[in-house]
Amino acid sequence: MTDRIERQLELAASAARVWESLTNPALLAEWLADEVTLELRPGGDASFRSGDELRSGWVEEVVAPVSGSDDADGGQSGRLTFWWAEDGEPASRVELVLSEIDPATTLLRIVETRPLEILDLVGVPLPGQGGARYGPALVAA
Amino acid sequence: MAEDPAGAVFGALAEPVRRQLLQTIADHPATATELASRLPISRQAVTKHLSSLSAAGLLERERAGRDIRYRVTPAPLTQAMSWMAEVGGQWDDRLSRLSRTLQAPGSPDATLPG
Repeated sequence: MTDRIERQLELAASAARVWESLTNPALLAEWLADEVTLELRPGGDASFRSGDELRSGWVEEVVAPVSGSDDADGGQSGRLTFWWAEDGEPASRVELVLSEIDPATTLLRIVETRPLEILDLVGVPLPGQGGARYGPALVAA
Repeated sequence: MAEDPAGAVFGALAEPVRRQLLQTIADHPATATELASRLPISRQAVTKHLSSLSAAGLLERERAGRDIRYRVTPAPLTQAMSWMAEVGGQWDDRLSRLSRTLQAPGSPDATLPG
């Protein structure tokens, strides 16, 4: 029993184009939220506004798909991980992983998890020292 | 319930002993005396931790003769279920928008690697 959402879908686009949709705020505004700011580096700030709902967060990991990567037949893959929370709500972690199947098809997997409370309830230990890795909303709580 | 349930739950679970207690009670509802005999903690310490866990809404009490038996309340789990339904639905909407944007004709080219 964990707070975990997982979705996977094939998109009709190259890894480079999907990556652009995941990281360019103007393109993110077409599908993720009405207005997005995203500092593309670990520890960078992020904000997401949809209507009057505002979420803030931070970036954990950015791995852009690399052109002409070493493994010739393995497609490119990339990963963007961030945390977000509405004001006063527990933060959750969003992981977006893409892998190119062929130049016109990319598999996108999203996983959103809320690692506190329930995970802990079933005995999964908190990672890191004193849970210091958790997002700003939790530290404030 | 505290004003900020998530914060209260987090606080209650911050202590490893309390997580262990919660786990034990999740397996079998128990009284403070029974818990103290099963775990390497004094009855007094058990009682103290049980009240933190109860205050966070993680435990409920029931009378068992002269004693009080504790069981894990299902409420936080119910919250988890509704979180999953809500967040899952949001992702379905977002991903279908993303899929539509990428299929739209005239969008920027796909630069092919090497």
